[in-house]
Amino acid sequence: MKLLLKRSAVLLIFSLLLSLGLAVFLMKYFHSASAWVQYPTNKHLYASGKLVSSGTIYDRSGTILLQMIDGTIEFHEDKTVRTAVMHATGDLSGNVETGAQVAFGDRLSGWDLVNGTYRFNDRLSSGSNLTLTLDAHLCAAAYKELNGRKGTVGVYNYKTGEILCMVSSPSFDPENHPDVKANPKKYEGVYLNRLLSAAYTPGSVFKLVTAAAAIDNIDSIDEKLYHCDGKLQIGEDMVNCLAAHGEVTLEEALADSCNVAFARIALELGADTLQKYADLAGFNSSLTINGIKTAMGKAELSDAEGGDLAWAGIGQYTNTANPLNFMAFMGAIANDGVRVTPKILSDRGIISLPATTETRILSSKTAEKLGKMMRNNTISAYGEENFKGLELCAKSGTAEVGGVEKPHAWFAGFLAREDSPLAFVVVIENGGSGSKVAGSVAVNVLQAAVKI
Amino acid sequence: MSDFLENVKQLFEMYLTKAADISGSIGSFVLHFGVIAELYTLLVRWVFPILAVTIFLRCILPLLQDRKRNAAWGYLNITDGTRIPLRHWENSIGRSNFCDIVIKVHFVSRNHAVLTFRHGAWSIAEINSKNGVQVNGVKIEKPETVQYGDIISLGGVEMELVQADKEPMEVAQQNDTARYVSSRGDIKPGTTFLLILLMQILGGLQICFSKGAELNPAVPVTFLFFILTECFHYIIMRWCSRKRFEPELLCYLLCGLSLLIVASAAPDSIFKQFAAILLGLAVYTALDLIIRDLGRAGKLKYLLAASALLLLILNLTIGETRFGAKRWIDLGLISFQPSEFVKIAFVMAGAATLDRLLTTRNMTAFIGFSAACIGALILMRDFGNVLVFFATFIVIAFMRSGDVRTIALTSAGAVLGGIAVVSFMPYIASRFAAWGNVWEYADTSGYQQTRTMIAAASGGLLGVGGGNGYLANIAAAHTDLVFGMLCEEWGLLVALTAVLIVVFFASYAVFLTKDCRSSFYAIVACGAASIFLLQTTLNVLGSVDILPLTGITFPFVSHGGSSMIASWGLLALIKSADERITPGKRTISGEGD
Ligand SMILES: [Zn+2]
Repeated sequence: MKLLLKRSAVLLIFSLLLSLGLAVFLMKYFHSASAWVQYPTNKHLYASGKLVSSGTIYDRSGTILLQMIDGTIEFHEDKTVRTAVMHATGDLSGNVETGAQVAFGDRLSGWDLVNGTYRFNDRLSSGSNLTLTLDAHLCAAAYKELNGRKGTVGVYNYKTGEILCMVSSPSFDPENHPDVKANPKKYEGVYLNRLLSAAYTPGSVFKLVTAAAAIDNIDSIDEKLYHCDGKLQIGEDMVNCLAAHGEVTLEEALADSCNVAFARIALELGADTLQKYADLAGFNSSLTINGIKTAMGKAELSDAEGGDLAWAGIGQYTNTANPLNFMAFMGAIANDGVRVTPKILSDRGIISLPATTETRILSSKTAEKLGKMMRNNTISAYGEENFKGLELCAKSGTAEVGGVEKPHAWFAGFLAREDSPLAFVVVIENGGSGSKVAGSVAVNVLQAAVKI
Repeated sequence: MSDFLENVKQLFEMYLTKAADISGSIGSFVLHFGVIAELYTLLVRWVFPILAVTIFLRCILPLLQDRKRNAAWGYLNITDGTRIPLRHWENSIGRSNFCDIVIKVHFVSRNHAVLTFRHGAWSIAEINSKNGVQVNGVKIEKPETVQYGDIISLGGVEMELVQADKEPMEVAQQNDTARYVSSRGDIKPGTTFLLILLMQILGGLQICFSKGAELNPAVPVTFLFFILTECFHYIIMRWCSRKRFEPELLCYLLCGLSLLIVASAAPDSIFKQFAAILLGLAVYTALDLIIRDLGRAGKLKYLLAASALLLLILNLTIGETRFGAKRWIDLGLISFQPSEFVKIAFVMAGAATLDRLLTTRNMTAFIGFSAACIGALILMRDFGNVLVFFATFIVIAFMRSGDVRTIALTSAGAVLGGIAVVSFMPYIASRFAAWGNVWEYADTSGYQQTRTMIAAASGGLLGVGGGNGYLANIAAAHTDLVFGMLCEEWGLLVALTAVLIVVFFASYAVFLTKDCRSSFYAIVACGAASIFLLQTTLNVLGSVDILPLTGITFPFVSHGGSSMIASWGLLALIKSADERITPGKRTISGEGD
């Protein structure tokens, strides 16, 4: 029977195939069951395409942002609040991909891997409610500050990762859905959460990346002087400054946002070093915010040389930045060089979420130096009296977008305050001057944020 | 068969009328105490998977326990003083390492001879040796009987056949008991059986609770009958059979799941499903008794093969097409799928004893029969069964010949043929079209698969409770999509257990091969296990879009009489290879005939 025992192994091969197929199914199951269950014909969750029951979405202080009453979804009673957090909650038709109703739809519907859609006595399980880290009133304040201009405001705690403010404009009142198609200009990209899913030309805020590289790679950078006479010719390209800044240090160059000095620094660093620091700063990769992937900022510098490299160093080459990703870079500078991945879900639910991930992207020394320079920016360039008591460290950006369009206004940075460890980003599309336009939005939002 | 059906049906209807008013009052009670039903589900959905896994483990552990070696039925004394025990009824002798008795002498061929013990006597057959076999100095031309004390000579190596120390009956007893005395056999099948009953009672009640006032009274009555049948069969087995019956217990479990599925999806035909289980048990018992005798089994093999061909021809001429495949014969009162019964004949047709297996290398008859079966299935457009038969053909053919090249060539030819068939048949081609990306065709050709996945996801690990699923409303869910139904209503854990039971049957068949009486039973067991395995693979993986959906049944679980009866028949074939006996059982002569 030895002979037959050997030959019967062919049967074991077949059972191996079945087990393998089953394993593939299980992998798919654990990965996608939460998506399968949300298919609109699933009668366990939907009746004629509408969710039968849903958990409640709270903000950080327990304000109800969304709840289901008698089978209908209701939002916050204040119109400004529900418009401001529309991208966080999602609208009634699930148009916002990153909105909680879509992104956490499985949990809101009461589904979990162990119990499936089973609900005892038709009551949702206690795990089906969501608490967001947002502050509804801060969001409303930020939305008001944007005042109809397209753009985004983000504020997060760089120690815990909690996102306090996440506003994207244009938005709309989810209880009175407007005719988006009839007004394509006003509602351009209205379903996009610009903080998470947009990528803009960074302009001068990118100088922080160049500066970080310079601190680490250029010998005695503190004493080194760069000459600016208002313009710099590199081959056929011409880099301009608003004024001739004369002999400037790195710190002065950052405060004056001197293009010529940063062009020289970029050329001195070389494409590979700059690329390395861009990657560390979060370009060319997405962050995952409780399972939601952000858009990827781009900085492909390896082929850049001469004028292209100079433009790249001042954020005007082909680079783009995702606002949230850049805000996390600000947080890393503030937090001793360690980036705490932002999160939108509060851990207070019954199901504990995986711990926030921490990544060191800058050395502690570099982060400290860069932070001091950003503090100097406020004092010597933006005016400390405008940001009284905030201990603001920031960098503005006025990103040229070409043609007759006004530049994008950026203002990004953090507060060096132990009691309010907040990092922020403000982007206003075609807003004009970064420090003036985006800066004034930032100051009001931050003044409200530190009171939370 | 139909007479029997008629009788049972009358008896059954009598009970139905009586049960109707009782369950009517139960129904209103349930409505009134809806909360009790809810509480019940809350509890049962946890208990059910725990029971399923426990029963599974309790059944497989004793069957896979390592056994002591067989005691010798006799010895061969070689002139150099070595004493070789003969541990099987069929012992191959030769130079090859895969022989049961290895003689490393140059003049001995790789597979030289087979020494067989049958009907209390030994005989030797020469296979394909250069130097032949001599018994007492006389070269043999055909298989010759060997007496104790005779000198067998293979290529100059002389050996004397010596009687065992004990009578064959005692050896059998010693072999059988020795295996279990040392085993940590604390897992009592009786307790396992009670757990199975508990699971079925809990499951049946769950269906009753969830259906409430709409409950078809046939459901509780059928469950009652089913449980009584199980008790009856179990007691019979305990009294009469000397083998272990964990495999049967596992099949009870699967049959119970099948009734739960039918009760949820097609409660009107639950009685038919139960009748099929009864008939299956009858076929199982009959087959078990017949093939116990190797001679009878050999004869039965030809009878079955002939009837199989007849059935297939009948199917092709008067068959009926349903869901694109012409796999049904309708006889008015009952309709059945002949291809299911042909499976039993197919497995037996390929089996052979070791001497035959090693002497007649060609398998013309078996290949011809296989080609006829598979050809008929292609004409019926029963593509799933073509795959099942073909894979089983490979298993049997390989066990018989051990020739990898021939099998590989045949397979390559078949795959090419299969591709040609698929391209010619629009019905099958359309099933292939959606394969792998069913979500793009979610509401058209991928409808069944996507609904299965949605249902599986909705059930989670524990299920939403029997009778509360929505997959049940989809046509043919209780045959083709049973895996999804199990996932949705009883949870992923229970569904996985059902699949693992089939995987276990395959390992069990391989495990039995080691100490099997005759290669005939080893081949039959592996062939039957292969059919179980392939059907399950196609059914389960087809319904969740890992493989194309082919409309094959899940053995024992899917709704369908022919499939149920054939599954029990195939189980008898697997069991035929199991020679072990429960401790403390009386032993009949090792012959069994
Ligand atoms: Zn300058």
